[in-house]
Amino acid sequence: MDDSHSSLFNLGILDTLTQDELHEILDSYNAFCNATQSLLGGAGDLSYGAQFVSHVHTLCKHGLESLVRDHFLRVLEETFERNGASRFWRHFVPYADFVDLNKNDDINIDEDEIESVLYNALEEISLEKQYQEKCLLILVHALQSFKDQMSEEKHDFEAERNYLTSKYQWIVSSVLMATLPRVFPVILHWYFKRRLEELSTIMDGEFTDDVSQNKDGMDLDEKGKICNEDGEMDVDECYSNRRFSENSRLVKNIGKVVLDLRSLGFTSMAEDAYASAIFLLLKAKVYNVAGDDFRSSILQSIQSWIQAVPLQFLHALLVYLGDSVSYESTSSGLKSPLAPQPSSFCPGIDTPSESLVRWKLRLEYFAYETLQDLRIAKLFEIIVDYPDSSPAIEDLKLCLEYTGQHSKLVESFISALRYRLLTAGASTNDILHQYVSTIKALRTIDPAGVFLEAVGEPIRDYLRGRRDTIKCIVTMLTDGTGGSSSASGNPGDSLLEELNRDEEIQENFGIDDDFNTDDRQAWINATRWQPDPVEADPLKGSRNQRKVDILGMIVGIIGSKDQLVHEYRTMLAEKLLNKSDYDIDSEIRTLELLKIHFGESSLQKCEIMLNDLIGSKRVNTNIKATISQPSQSSVEVEDNAISMDKIAATIISSNFWPPIQDEPLNLPEHVDQLLSDYAKRFSEIKTPRKLQWKKSLGTVKLELQFEDRVVEFTVAPVLASIIMKFQDQTSWTSKNLAAAIGIPVDVLNKRINFWISKGIISESPGGDSPDHVYTIMENMGETSKNGGGNGIPQDLLGGDEEEDGSVASVENQLLKEMTVYEKFILGMLTNFGNMALDRIHNTLKMFCVADPPYDKSLQQLQSFLSGLVSEEKLELRDGVYFLKK
Amino acid sequence: MATINVHTEAGQDNIAPSKQSLPPPKSVDSQSVLRRLQSELMALMMGGDSGISAFPEEDNILCWKGTITGSKETVFEGTEYKLSLSFPNEYPFKAPKVKFDTTCFHPNVDLHGNICLDILQDKWSSAYDVRTILLSIQSLLGEPNISSPLNPQAAQLWSNQEEYRKMVEKYKSPAA
Repeated sequence: MDDSHSSLFNLGILDTLTQDELHEILDSYNAFCNATQSLLGGAGDLSYGAQFVSHVHTLCKHGLESLVRDHFLRVLEETFERNGASRFWRHFVPYADFVDLNKNDDINIDEDEIESVLYNALEEISLEKQYQEKCLLILVHALQSFKDQMSEEKHDFEAERNYLTSKYQWIVSSVLMATLPRVFPVILHWYFKRRLEELSTIMDGEFTDDVSQNKDGMDLDEKGKICNEDGEMDVDECYSNRRFSENSRLVKNIGKVVLDLRSLGFTSMAEDAYASAIFLLLKAKVYNVAGDDFRSSILQSIQSWIQAVPLQFLHALLVYLGDSVSYESTSSGLKSPLAPQPSSFCPGIDTPSESLVRWKLRLEYFAYETLQDLRIAKLFEIIVDYPDSSPAIEDLKLCLEYTGQHSKLVESFISALRYRLLTAGASTNDILHQYVSTIKALRTIDPAGVFLEAVGEPIRDYLRGRRDTIKCIVTMLTDGTGGSSSASGNPGDSLLEELNRDEEIQENFGIDDDFNTDDRQAWINATRWQPDPVEADPLKGSRNQRKVDILGMIVGIIGSKDQLVHEYRTMLAEKLLNKSDYDIDSEIRTLELLKIHFGESSLQKCEIMLNDLIGSKRVNTNIKATISQPSQSSVEVEDNAISMDKIAATIISSNFWPPIQDEPLNLPEHVDQLLSDYAKRFSEIKTPRKLQWKKSLGTVKLELQFEDRVVEFTVAPVLASIIMKFQDQTSWTSKNLAAAIGIPVDVLNKRINFWISKGIISESPGGDSPDHVYTIMENMGETSKNGGGNGIPQDLLGGDEEEDGSVASVENQLLKEMTVYEKFILGMLTNFGNMALDRIHNTLKMFCVADPPYDKSLQQLQSFLSGLVSEEKLELRDGVYFLKK
Repeated sequence: MATINVHTEAGQDNIAPSKQSLPPPKSVDSQSVLRRLQSELMALMMGGDSGISAFPEEDNILCWKGTITGSKETVFEGTEYKLSLSFPNEYPFKAPKVKFDTTCFHPNVDLHGNICLDILQDKWSSAYDVRTILLSIQSLLGEPNISSPLNPQAAQLWSNQEEYRKMVEKYKSPAA
């Protein structure tokens, strides 16, 4: 372009040129070309300089200045491409394979070799470049001196020089960039990573030394200083200098590499490389520190580490670069717009430069984010050991405040829950426990409960589908120890605690309300107001209603407190009926707490139940008082004398108690007699009322005397009746025994296992009939003789005792409910052949109006139906259900 | 045991709503029919009688579909018959109309499915319910009343059980 332009321009002048002049131009141009060639080609030999200058002058005289410039630059570019760039890249050719390999691992790389190659290559190319720059300067001087000769006025030397050098820089970087091999950034990255690691081990060592010194040393000031550094940027000079001197060699090395790279136009690539190396290092550090230990807060130490290692390094590097940049700016003045601005940083003065502050922010954000991601990924585990892991929760809270990525937490945690907790394998107790911990933990992170709302939803939905949820909740509410199966920790305690806490809160609320009338307090409250987080769903009500209330959220699972109260009543009944004393203090306390939460009226029946117990105690004492003096004789005092004061009755108002499972049972005669006497007394005292015994309920304390031992038991009346039959007759067939006691044979066979397992009764197949024969074992010798089979029934027993429930459990009621549905479904399918899910659902809704009416969701029905399908009762084809034939 | 429980429950069900709700006199009829049929449905579902079943159609509790399978050791063994039952508004004081939907080769059933059974006509009593109706029809299959046949051909053939069985097989729908 320039060429054509100048030729056009010169067309007019062409005529005026004489033959001589033309010759002169041609000659000197040829000579100039040769001189240029030899000047640039000659390694470091500037001897052609003088000759070169004169040719330039000649050409300039003829107005061919631009031609000179362009030609020179073109030759310069060619030379650089040939000598500089290609040679430079040739250094890295052997490592071209590392492009892919290096990302995963860098095992078989000769580290030092690469490093020295990098150093050599950089040095070589820098030399080449410096030489070329010198040549360029000669040209500049030549041009300048010509101008000076031509006119007396002073020309702007700087402008000429800047123009050419920037042109040259541009040539250099474009040539390099155009021929850049893929391996180079990788090598750079790897180099910085390695250097940094080296540096960090040195600094880390010092850092931990410092810290440990501070920790056990007396120098509290020093320690305070470290802490200060987190907040403020004043790097203690001697502190850094000491370290700086030790590491200056390393930092200088790095600094030189950065500088070289920068002068080659790789400014941004170099920065990328060391930035990513720093981030990698930081990430590794965070992972290393954070690990799987949730019991301590690590944010502080990571911050100190950032302060101590990467920031120190950057500080040093920037100081070093700052030095050289200021030099560079006087020598070349070139600066890529992508480069950071270290030139504003004055070495020696410890006010943090802007770029250092930016680095600090970047690093901290990165550290927070890394830690946050790490913690979020492990949130499930963290919450599992919640009370212990609260430091980790606190860390996470801080991180989230910084990064604001709460939604990440919600998403990841929900998917973790789905995957790990809400599965058929997890026991309801564990799920509830985790739910409570989640509530508590998230309450720390987010007091407004917005994220809790989102996270809790799937748990609640899932728990609703579990049948024993209510039972577990009530167990947790009332006592932790009685909780079924494998409750990890004791979740019950936590809920009971919560109940207590709730009471305290309510007390406090009263005070709060009084204060609120105070204007000043209102003002304080107003100033404390914070907006909801952005993620808040405006449909879910304002923050006041969203007050995080564990009990409320638990009850929310069930849907209504009525069901919970119902279950509580069932469990309470069970517990009260099995009490042999009238000690109900703890039950009263629990009830009172529940009343605070659920209201008096809903727990009225439970209160009556407790009152029944209190009343029973009184009546019992009364009856015994009337009986003890007058007529011992009325009760036949036999050899196995049981007097009435051995009896303690629990008198219940059956209207208010849950349905009680009463099995018919024949008690031993004298016991029966005793009971009816007791009943008689009762009706004497409470005249219009009569006592009806539920003979199968309650407990019996027994003392069995054998020839060689005495054993005590506390058992159910059925078991007592069984064993007492053996007083008169040492051996019974199961049929006869069942008839005598008045229970079905199969029940007897099941129940008697208890005594068999205790080694008190032995079982043998009857000779002529399918009956079993049970015999009492009078002494231990006999037991051990027949004891071969004793191990097994012992095991069987564990499950058996569970069935002793005196009250129809809510679970059984549910089971009954589901059988009703099953029968309905089978019925409708019999008559309609096949039905789609919707139709079954609607039909059930329409016609299944039993007590309780059908109230399941479509999903629940679907899962129930798929259960029936797997039981091979139904078949599902094309979305339609059939009866399995 | 379970059956008894359910029966008593169903009984309570009957009583409980009538105690608490005093519906306006006009709707008493339909209300009580509804309730009666619902409790009958519950009893039928929970009763577990084998070989008989019935269920209301989707939107109308007065129209039921029933299913009867032939009793063992009769010529009808292994067959299944669909019926439709439609209850009058005056139920249980009037008998429901019961028809075979599938063709039934039987002396007391005509080709349109109409049934000649005394308790469905003049001997109806409000003590009967869906279950007893279905049981009666089921037993009618094995013990026809030859004296007053609706299907004379069937009545004639009844004496020859083997031939009769063939007829039954012929009418048996392939799907059943």
